[in-house]
Amino acid sequence: MMKPVYDFDLRDARIRTFTVRNLGHLDWFIVGFVFSLAAIGLATLHSASMSGLQAAPRYDLRQAVWLCVGLIAAGAIICTDHRFMLSLAPLMYVGALALLTVVLILGIEARGGQSWLRLGPFRFQPSEVAKIALVYMLAWYFTKAGRRIRKLRFLLLAFAIAAMPCLFVVKQNDLGTALTFLPVVFAMLFVAGCRRRHLFLVALLGAVSLYAAWPHLKEHHRERVLAFIDPAREQPKGKDYRYHQIQSKITVGSGRMKGKGFGQGTQTHLNYLPEYHTDFIFSLLAEEGGFIGAALVVGLFMALLLRALALARTCPEPSGSLVIAGCVTVLAVHAFANIAITIGLMPVIGLPLPFLSYGGSFYLTTMMCVGAVLNAPIRKGYFTG
Amino acid sequence: MTPGATKKAVHSDPNKRLRVVAVMLSIAFATLVVQLWRLQIVHGSEYFDKAKNNRLREVRLRAPRGIIYGRDEHVILADNRAACDLVLVPVDCAGVEKQVCMRLEDLVGINGDALEKRIEEYRRRPFTQLLVRQDLSMTELTSIEEFNYVLPGVFVVQRPQRRYVYGRTGGQILGWLNEIDGDELERKPKYALGDLIGRAGVELVYEPLLKGTNGYMIVSRYAAGEVQMRGGVPGPLDQALTDQFGRQVEVEETLAPEWGQSVSLTIDVALQAKAEALLEGERGAIAVLDADTGEALALASAPGYDPNVFLIAHRTEDRQRLRELLEDPDKRMRNRCYHEHYPPGSVFKLVVAVAALEEGLIDESTSFYCPGHFDLGDTTWGCWHAHGHIKTVDAIAYSCDVFFYNVGKQLGIEKINEWAARMGLGEFSGIDLPLEEKGLIPSPEWKERAFADLDRWNRAWQPGDTINVAIGQGATVITPLQAAVMAAAIVNGGKRVRPYVNQELGPQASDSYISQRTLELVQRGMRKCVDKQDPPSGTGRFAHIDGMAILGKTGTAQVVSQDLYEDLSEEKTPYEWRAHAWFVAGVQDRRPRIAVCVLVEHGLHGSTAAAPLAREIIAFFYAKRAPDYAVLAKVENAP
Repeated sequence: MMKPVYDFDLRDARIRTFTVRNLGHLDWFIVGFVFSLAAIGLATLHSASMSGLQAAPRYDLRQAVWLCVGLIAAGAIICTDHRFMLSLAPLMYVGALALLTVVLILGIEARGGQSWLRLGPFRFQPSEVAKIALVYMLAWYFTKAGRRIRKLRFLLLAFAIAAMPCLFVVKQNDLGTALTFLPVVFAMLFVAGCRRRHLFLVALLGAVSLYAAWPHLKEHHRERVLAFIDPAREQPKGKDYRYHQIQSKITVGSGRMKGKGFGQGTQTHLNYLPEYHTDFIFSLLAEEGGFIGAALVVGLFMALLLRALALARTCPEPSGSLVIAGCVTVLAVHAFANIAITIGLMPVIGLPLPFLSYGGSFYLTTMMCVGAVLNAPIRKGYFTG
Repeated sequence: MTPGATKKAVHSDPNKRLRVVAVMLSIAFATLVVQLWRLQIVHGSEYFDKAKNNRLREVRLRAPRGIIYGRDEHVILADNRAACDLVLVPVDCAGVEKQVCMRLEDLVGINGDALEKRIEEYRRRPFTQLLVRQDLSMTELTSIEEFNYVLPGVFVVQRPQRRYVYGRTGGQILGWLNEIDGDELERKPKYALGDLIGRAGVELVYEPLLKGTNGYMIVSRYAAGEVQMRGGVPGPLDQALTDQFGRQVEVEETLAPEWGQSVSLTIDVALQAKAEALLEGERGAIAVLDADTGEALALASAPGYDPNVFLIAHRTEDRQRLRELLEDPDKRMRNRCYHEHYPPGSVFKLVVAVAALEEGLIDESTSFYCPGHFDLGDTTWGCWHAHGHIKTVDAIAYSCDVFFYNVGKQLGIEKINEWAARMGLGEFSGIDLPLEEKGLIPSPEWKERAFADLDRWNRAWQPGDTINVAIGQGATVITPLQAAVMAAAIVNGGKRVRPYVNQELGPQASDSYISQRTLELVQRGMRKCVDKQDPPSGTGRFAHIDGMAILGKTGTAQVVSQDLYEDLSEEKTPYEWRAHAWFVAGVQDRRPRIAVCVLVEHGLHGSTAAAPLAREIIAFFYAKRAPDYAVLAKVENAP
């Protein structure tokens, strides 16, 4: 049966590189989930800003600004044609590598890593944007490779593509970010249709190389992992690598079912748990919102990511699915690892929580991921529906 | 299509693979929810308590010690004042430590370089409060306040500080305090680190009363927050409770400290001050008792010490000062009234007289001839004067040794011991002050024990020993307080009183154990001793006050054998060889009746060194029925 004629919008018949009309074809579930999470994030940051510490910065207001910036970036991606975005992938990739090189030379050090670039009043983390570039680059590469991805050397080339920015990030001493790159490649390879045994092989190789890399890790990384494996381990004098882990568990656990109430978190507001506005913001949420609040946020993440994966199946072209799979993996890895760390399921490595953690560059990346996810399924030049 | 191809197609179908990703993602996030459930619901209460313990902290509120009052309610001997300590929090003066230290050196005279070094030591713990200077003076306090703006991280912290209002006066009675040490802390649960504990005198004996109960405040604090009490304004301590960020600390629960109970002493501080003033420059003791009740009105001892010194100094200096005081050859830590004993000399004749009269050996008319010496076997004992024929009353008044040699010889050592014990000599007086000496009245058993390593002849009791004891020589030693108790019995009609300093204890006295007839005779002798002004005058004539019935007995107790200094003039006799001067006195015709004992170490003669002091004391006590505070002005006060 013929599709109804009125479903066809003549104005869409001409394919444009950039059109605001795309904004009319959004998946409103995803938009709803994203705005819910963003609202919860801002509220949590508002609580974090109420801390009694002298001159606590208004994290919530600054984050709201970044939310706007992120929305604009996401909007721009949505309005751009997916295939055009994909064609830009190699450029993005090279650009990201260039920025990472610049950061190694000109970057400023903060929080133990040299990963920040100063742009006027802003501080900017190129490694975050590199994630998006990598997703597009891999999607581009897998599209080009097609079924050849089932050959081992094409698969290894994919790893080489991921390894480049990864090495830069490791060089910047940002182990957490570097470790997120691997699942992205892995998931996208899987969706792109490579052989399973190749994936197992790669996983094995990865495990071996991690083992080989162990002695070259920084001491605090090693100690944190060891403290996680063996909590009774004797701590070096004057330092307790278990502190974050223990205090975070206490913080989360003390929230019980209903939480201590908005702005009433004692563990966080009294500074027992540092970094409660960035990497440990989920603890603040779980302390003040209790199990209800924490499970709600986990549920929202799950709904968002599953909905995105469902969208991936409706994409008009395979590259769209790949981009969505990549973006979902980026968000999922951050969300899962961050929450797992705060509730004591993983050793402490610094990773932000999408939508909640304070930090502009990562918020931008998050919103760009959302933009890419929303952009990929939009059909142009086809009958809609 | 071959079946293999179909299988391959299925395996690489992107939609199926996306579904696999979705399933794995669901499992991962479900794990998170399970762990959240475990933490928040299953173990939620445990973590909640942990979080509570994390943030709550107990701040101890030290109980102020009870006040020690004097005899009169408006006289406070020891109280608490607000002391202001200077503390420095390194984190608050980061970057300008050097300037701050130099300024503090100028303002309060501490060692700036040493302080800088200490700040350096605390580099890792910059929130610690470093004690810079204890107990700022008012001038220092004002200058610190004045330069507050250039002294970041410098604060004034307030605490209650014991104050001995009259300083040295009564210092040995009040005792002193210092910080409790680690071992004691384990044994005494009521105490906490930094608490003060009584170490001597009333502070030691009544420690359980004076101590009070510490309170606490449960406060909510920041992770790095140290709760501090700040503010130089005297007032309730819990008013200025902040942490080092200057944030008001939230108080969750407060238990106010309980003041220690106050103790009212029987000590008449004016009399005590007068007595100490009289002993100025000497070593000696003056004990004044209410003869009827046993209340200690004054227990002066010289040289003394100011218990405030233990509180002002820092702990290490504290110990140094304590060591100096303990090793002091003047024994200024000891109250010579009860913590030292001396040979009583002729004062002991009162015991022999009472014993002989009570046993019926002598009566008023008994007379002995005194040729100035007494022979027994090969040995000759001297008398200070050849008294000729002398009767009981005169023997007391003129302190005739020969009379008492004879009486003692007839009485025998057992009777002397018995009566000395009855009158409280060689026995604890029972005063409620620590470290009382018992004294010693020699007996055959004692000699057997004490000289166990000598041959039989030397350790056996000899008749000559009894002669020595009869005039209070030989190994006989008593405390001035015991002598005062004995005098009190003669004044009050033969009752032995228990001396005490805490009014709460109340009087406690035995039934009269001396007959009225005996007392009358002894009292006549003692009156004559003081009142007989024209030659031959009584030995206690320097204690005479017109119109007052004063009883008295002198004592001049040799400390070395007389042979040593027989040929020397008094001035040339070495200080350590000079005899102790005693005078016991009582007042009969005034209320309250008092008993006085004066001892001047190496004062040469009881008659000239001790009796005038007793006269001053008695005159002072009865001249003023309201305390004369002009005397107290002479006494250096605590800061």
